Amino acid sequence: MPIIELEGVWKRYESGTETVEALKDVNFAAEPGEFVAIMGPSGSGKSTMLNVLGLLDVPSEGVVRLDGRDVTDLTDEEMTTQRKRAIGFVFQNFFLIPTLSATENVEVPTLFGTDPTARERATRLLERVGLGDRLDHRPDQLSGGQKQRVAIARALVNEPRIVLADEPTGNLDRKTGRDVLELFTELKTEEDVAVIAVTHDDQLRQYADRVVNLVDGVLTEEGAEADAGTEPETTEEFGT
Amino acid sequence: MSLLDRLYRRVPALVMARRNLSRNRLRSALAALGIIIGVLAIASLGMFGTTLRTGASEQLGDIGNEISITPNPEAGFDRLTDRDVADIRRVTDEGVVVPVRQRSGTLTRGKDRRITTVYGIENPGALYEATDGRVPDRLRQGALVGATLAEQLDIEPGNRITLDNQSFRVVGVLEEENGISLLSPNSAVVVPMESFDERGYSQVVVKSPTGTAANETAMAVREELNDREEKVSVFELGSITEGINQFFGILNAFLVGIGSISLVVAGVSILNVMLMSTIERRQEIGVLRAVGVQKLDVVRMILAEAGLLGLVGGFFGAVLAVLAGLVLNQVVISDPWLTFAPANLLYIGLAVVFGIVTSVLSGLYPAWKAATERPVEALRK
Repeated sequence: MPIIELEGVWKRYESGTETVEALKDVNFAAEPGEFVAIMGPSGSGKSTMLNVLGLLDVPSEGVVRLDGRDVTDLTDEEMTTQRKRAIGFVFQNFFLIPTLSATENVEVPTLFGTDPTARERATRLLERVGLGDRLDHRPDQLSGGQKQRVAIARALVNEPRIVLADEPTGNLDRKTGRDVLELFTELKTEEDVAVIAVTHDDQLRQYADRVVNLVDGVLTEEGAEADAGTEPETTEEFGT
Repeated sequence: MSLLDRLYRRVPALVMARRNLSRNRLRSALAALGIIIGVLAIASLGMFGTTLRTGASEQLGDIGNEISITPNPEAGFDRLTDRDVADIRRVTDEGVVVPVRQRSGTLTRGKDRRITTVYGIENPGALYEATDGRVPDRLRQGALVGATLAEQLDIEPGNRITLDNQSFRVVGVLEEENGISLLSPNSAVVVPMESFDERGYSQVVVKSPTGTAANETAMAVREELNDREEKVSVFELGSITEGINQFFGILNAFLVGIGSISLVVAGVSILNVMLMSTIERRQEIGVLRAVGVQKLDVVRMILAEAGLLGLVGGFFGAVLAVLAGLVLNQVVISDPWLTFAPANLLYIGLAVVFGIVTSVLSGLYPAWKAATERPVEALRK
């Protein structure tokens, strides 16, 4: 059963006199343990789709289902609760909080709750992403790849069902980007989460189980073509 | 886990707030400085008022302890009789009753002649002290001369003066009275009661040990003598001191009001700082909202920041205010411990509370603004 589902989703923006259609009748579903790449050029509606999937934005038309439940018309408070419960975010710019240590950054989503095991979980996740020796470092003491690992740990700290990644490799060099993608493929089964990444980085094709293309707000399935056996090096010539 | 850690665990908004404030220490310090100045202004102006009031009461001395009873001519009473004085004595619990006769007379000393007030007082020792010579408890012969008069006519104890056609030996020169007094002795001569031809008294002064006792006596006298008709009028200096106290109350309110203006200014500066810092942290707050932090928690976090600024500002403001109070009271009335008078502690407490409340109020708008921004907007690249 899909963990997240979009059914006939339209998103329209009023821009001056004309209406911009960012999403046109989008149907999409993702299951836990699956790594889906949403690919498309800038301005194709990728971010809008990710925002709808992440319950940060509501569609103009259509239905969003989280865990089989219609969440389209929830209040802001309910959506926030659902985000906290089920969704983790990874951003292109990492968006770590500069005043907090790595552990505290991972703990942020649990901060305004009363979960005594949060610290433990944060430490475990940081060790899992290979930052066991950087627990007390501030973001400015970490490299880009390390920051993104902290962000991934943060996305996973509430044991979500979905991790949404917005250009997760966008600010990383290719080698570091691959490491991060590698981490995603490992974590999707370990943590049993659906990883959905929007990107225009072709490198993702090797790691994604499934690629969908979004062009001018229209979504088309590309069919699984990533092969775990493919050597990542062969993709080196694809520029960004 | 230390106590602080445990507190932070309990109130996560606090740890975020503290970290955020330490991000731009100078800016936070300047915002807190505004509150420090505001709190200092309110507290020290309030304390200054208390000091003024205390200083003034010292100047006024114990006039609040005296009452004066005079006959009421409108009801046909020109004099107080021996019986009235006996009645007054009877109803006076504490205090000394001083019956007074009064007239004008011509004072002659050598070639100088002068019209003066002449008091006939049997026991002037209850009211006056002498700078030169002495004031007998019972004045049976001789005269006491007021300070101003003595200076003008160059009178010393032992001199002889002539009042109308009676001759007196001067036994004492009275101490100059600076404050307000019911029977101002400075330009007067006090002579024995018996030297007056008339009977009865023009007024009776009762001097009590405390203002409360004076007030009680005044009420008792009214009840006793004005039972059937308005025979006497009773004048309490206490009512004047009350008026003076009221005046200082208004003065204090005014001073504290001026101080409050600086606190309002400080509030605006906190508003500005919080607004700037929330705009700078727009994306961060967007991330918080995205990962499941509720609007109200964001509001709480920013209010905690503003509250912390207020708390720190209030604390240092209070400390500075106490120091200022110690210096002020030492200099003005040589009693630094007046700083810790209940009224002053109240002013300091009020100032600190005002400071914190102002800060939190100033944080409201930025907090609300930050919390209601849609995370999608905040996270847009």
